[in-house]
Amino acid sequence: MNILIVEDNRELALEVYDFLCNAGYVCKIAHTCADALEEFNSNDYNAMLLDLGLPDGDGFEVLQTVRKTKSKMAVIVLTARGELDDRINGLHLGADDYLTKPFALTELSARLFAVIRRIHGFTLNNLSINGFVLQLQDYKVSFNEQPINLTKKEFDIFQYLVLNKNRVITRLQLTEHIWGDILEVNSDSNFIDVHVRNLRKKLDKHAPIDWFETVRNVGYRINE
Amino acid sequence: MKIKHQLAIFNALTRLLVILILWLMLPILVQNVVYHHINNSLLEKKKKFIEHLNQEEINDFIENPDDSTETFSEFSTLHSEFLVLSRVPIKPHQKKTTFTNEFRKIENEESEYRILQHHFTYEGEYYQLEIGSSLSEVNDLTFVIRFFILIVFVVILFITFLADTFYIEYLLKPFYKIIDTKIRRVNEPETFDHTPIKALSRDFRELDFVLNQMMDRISEVFKKEKQFISNVSHELLTPIALLKTKLENLLQNESLDDNAFDKIAGSLKTLDMLKKIINNLLLISRIDNNQYEANEEINLKEIVSDLQEDLQDRIDDREIEFVNKMQNSFAFLGNKTLIHILIYNLVTNAIKYNKPNGSIIVEDGFTTDHYFILVKDSGIGMDESQLEKIFSRFARISSDQEGQGLGLAIAQSIASFHHVEITVESELGKGTSFGLWFQKPIKS
Repeated sequence: MNILIVEDNRELALEVYDFLCNAGYVCKIAHTCADALEEFNSNDYNAMLLDLGLPDGDGFEVLQTVRKTKSKMAVIVLTARGELDDRINGLHLGADDYLTKPFALTELSARLFAVIRRIHGFTLNNLSINGFVLQLQDYKVSFNEQPINLTKKEFDIFQYLVLNKNRVITRLQLTEHIWGDILEVNSDSNFIDVHVRNLRKKLDKHAPIDWFETVRNVGYRINE
Repeated sequence: MKIKHQLAIFNALTRLLVILILWLMLPILVQNVVYHHINNSLLEKKKKFIEHLNQEEINDFIENPDDSTETFSEFSTLHSEFLVLSRVPIKPHQKKTTFTNEFRKIENEESEYRILQHHFTYEGEYYQLEIGSSLSEVNDLTFVIRFFILIVFVVILFITFLADTFYIEYLLKPFYKIIDTKIRRVNEPETFDHTPIKALSRDFRELDFVLNQMMDRISEVFKKEKQFISNVSHELLTPIALLKTKLENLLQNESLDDNAFDKIAGSLKTLDMLKKIINNLLLISRIDNNQYEANEEINLKEIVSDLQEDLQDRIDDREIEFVNKMQNSFAFLGNKTLIHILIYNLVTNAIKYNKPNGSIIVEDGFTTDHYFILVKDSGIGMDESQLEKIFSRFARISSDQEGQGLGLAIAQSIASFHHVEITVESELGKGTSFGLWFQKPIKS
């Protein structure tokens, strides 16, 4: 998977770059609109992460140019929150998704996974982890072909942890993923624990799940 | 009442007052003129009479053997005038000619006369001469004049009132145009119409000019603010994004000891708080800067049930009972995202400040002018000094509670953006009730 990161903040671009490379993607960075278009024209990319505020222009111009071509590349717009017009604009011009800054890298990888899966016509339908299989199209989980009943939230939490396996996912990240961007400051996120506890109970019935770790009092990690 | 009506009515009233005074003064004026005229003619007659006077004539007048009173009277046929000459034994006190109004009975017909009285001496004898002229005709005439003038006045009053109304309307037209097309749109500087308004009066042209200038300045400020907000969003949130990704990546480092791990996790939490505060402040600024559209049809009942679903985990977590008593479907135009945030903030507030096993009731209803939603909780409540400042930014209800106190400030910004009134009632220890009052649409 080739990914083009268009972000003018060099450090941020590098962080995203490292993260995505670790996750197995092949990445390239562009800092300006011109660089981005040059890269787009000279190489084949599966997805582009597009920051809107670029030094030599608006990221939308890049998006418009890309959409005029026949390229099927997925575009995820990265924007500062709340510029609602921007979001609507972005989706109109053919952005596949948007993420508001500051975003969690794990959230980025989950969105990237969904977008890439979509542009490839949903050919990838299962995720498996230590014998458990997640059926992505109907939100079901099974173990040795035995179905396990999960609620929508439990499934979402499980999928998110699996997509970001071997990484610590904090409660905050999980909460934001499930409930979206909660504006409320200091909303306590303990209620996520209830869902995780239930999820674990359901999985534990079928096989020992010592790979499903609680990391100190901070978050969770699924190891493989 | 509009100024054009007030002006027209005021003009009509002052005119009416002038007319009334004139009308009341009319009899006096007419009388003065008429009496002056009659007096002159009476004096003329007296002069003629005295000039032609001789003893023979006097004797002819007076010495009528049938009459012992020594008086001579003469009447015109229609009793409009009379003349009386009488010999008086003593010299009268007054010598001058005097005029009086008196009722006289002449041949059984009483009527009012203007009478000239004159005393004179002729060959050692004293005489009194009275010449009278009837006033009945004059009185009739005065009445007729008053009546006609009354009609004329009423007609004048009516015509001038109409003329006034139309002229004032015409004069004030630019003024109303300014109100309709400009002043009412002060809150939307982007859509402000700068075309100068044609006006006959210089005052309105000046007003229009100054308004345009003012709006130019306001839209300039609005634009700058918008630019500023956008810059702040980008410039503040990008470094936060950088810090966040760095810390999240750092957290994955296997060689971290527990202490460092906790510190990084703590920093991430603080960073999250910072992000939310910035986003909240930006949200308030954006609302106050009119950056949101308000053209979606909003179903409040739907929003409340969506919210209940979203917040069910937190409600269960605090073991609170949530009672949704929304019954009416009241739809209005607004911004769905914002209204969602508004009600979300009120409900989460009710969750946060509730007691364990408490309850939250959301209900709605109609009054004569409003549709209202009440969010009531059985929480800790507030006293009056706390109530005063709950809508101001960063006001925390109690010191032992967390939260940055922006939720209600946002709620108020959203409410005033939608012209919705937000009210709060609270009793310490018993609970708080927030009300949202939506204006009913005016039926046209």
